[in-house]
Amino acid sequence: MVGLSVGEKHFIQGGIAQDLRSDGRKRFDYRPISVETGVIPQANGSARVRMGATHVIASVKAELGKPSPLQPDKAKVAIYVDCSPTAAPMFEVGNISLPCDKCHSVYMSSCSLSRSTINYRGRGGEQLSTELSAALQRCLLGGKSGAGAGINLSSLSVVEGKICWDLYVDGLVVSSDGNLLDALGAAIKAALSNTGIPKVHVAVSASADEQPEVDISDEEFLQFDTFGIPVIITLTKVGRHYIIDATSEEEVPNELGYLRFY
Amino acid sequence: MEYVSPEGLRLDGRRPMEMRQIRGELGAVAKADGSAVFEMGNTKVIAAVYGPREVQNRSQQLNDQALVRCEYSMANFSTGDRMRKPKGDRRSTEISLVIRQTMEACILTHLMPRSQIDIFVQVLQADGGTRSACINAATLALADAGIPMRDLVTSCSAGYLNSNPLLDLNYVEDSAGGPDVTVGILAKLDRVTLLQMDAKLPMDIFENVMQLAIEGCKAIANYIREVRTFQLVLPVVEDHLGTIREYQATGVSPGHIVFLSLPFLKGIPSQLTLPNSAAQVPFW
Repeated sequence: MVGLSVGEKHFIQGGIAQDLRSDGRKRFDYRPISVETGVIPQANGSARVRMGATHVIASVKAELGKPSPLQPDKAKVAIYVDCSPTAAPMFEVGNISLPCDKCHSVYMSSCSLSRSTINYRGRGGEQLSTELSAALQRCLLGGKSGAGAGINLSSLSVVEGKICWDLYVDGLVVSSDGNLLDALGAAIKAALSNTGIPKVHVAVSASADEQPEVDISDEEFLQFDTFGIPVIITLTKVGRHYIIDATSEEEVPNELGYLRFY
Repeated sequence: MEYVSPEGLRLDGRRPMEMRQIRGELGAVAKADGSAVFEMGNTKVIAAVYGPREVQNRSQQLNDQALVRCEYSMANFSTGDRMRKPKGDRRSTEISLVIRQTMEACILTHLMPRSQIDIFVQVLQADGGTRSACINAATLALADAGIPMRDLVTSCSAGYLNSNPLLDLNYVEDSAGGPDVTVGILAKLDRVTLLQMDAKLPMDIFENVMQLAIEGCKAIANYIREVRTFQLVLPVVEDHLGTIREYQATGVSPGHIVFLSLPFLKGIPSQLTLPNSAAQVPFW
């Protein structure tokens, strides 16, 4: 996306100061939101969320694994966000040229002074993916000790110290028009509510050293309790006012902050 | 393992010459210049096209034609077992190259010198035939973006198991280790732009299998022509009072007159908005 001109930035800021955004919304109006669950049949749970032109998909896969020695009674949850290159051209893997540091123009093509091109692979997308993953991890799983976690990890442990469920929560950004964190938070919450963890029967006769035998049931599923999972709402500051659900044009020149709500 | 039963049915109940159910839809990614979703059975793929636009990397600029770039990536959850690394692995690089060469052959690049066309393909669900689904989705996305092309490129795969040529292999049949022939053709011009095969086949059987794949491609081309011009999808947004607030139509080219009959409405909207065009059509 080409950057915004100074005139466009002033236009957006002025409009927001008068409680009028480019698409006619007020400062605290959301775009139409649509949520669909069960979009990925082979995952344990999945959801798709659309907020205007922002389109994200979240999927949850559960596998049996060994719990970490520090927290033997808790399951492990890994959250990973991937920005698909379809979302925006800057998210592709490949060589991307850096902004020229001699004349501060945004694209190399408009710089007449420097001919050098610094190449690195896919940094635009990976940086955003890492930021989103870290933010979601903090929101949903709380701090390092597990305090403030949205998911009850102890309920997913099968045999304490030996077997627990590994949950892999994958977010995919298909189309990005601002407010990715809210959309991903909503998608993950919906996907977890759609998730069915198969019931596991543990063989009774197992000694303390051996791995117990487990029988994963195909028929019975446990539903997740998603009451404790937070809904993320991002407030973007534009000029001296705050707005909700910023589009990518409104996000560009401004400082970003987010608050988490239950 | 028996891939074709004695009655002539495959593992998913299809006949040997039968393709999976296909479905295509335009306008999946609102921000892209052109985009499409294409499904072949359980394989689901999104393609987005950005361009023609200014070349990002000046050293790659071509003075007499457009630069076509393509990237293929699979979602983490697309395969049965979760994939660790969705991009940058060898298979993705190879398929990106294959799709790029196929689409470059059909885009009229000499009309857009010194510009760049980016084709991004994202696999949401993989169940065999991802390469073909990607090429079909890319064709739809390029058409949605309005990029001039010689013809529609369609692609289909075919294989040979248990002495039967099989059309449109799914993942189980593909992993059987038998030959897998992927063909991409320019539908009306009747020319082959992509021909790939894994494993080995005797020459005469290869001719049969390739002919079968070409028939599959032509069937997909017929379907795609319908998608391009006549599909009208109207998701309806209702507010809390049940009043219809918003309609969005996709896949309709500007210049078409559309007649709609919409029974069971609780409210009549005053406007019908078509994306890909700035105009709003008064609704009566």
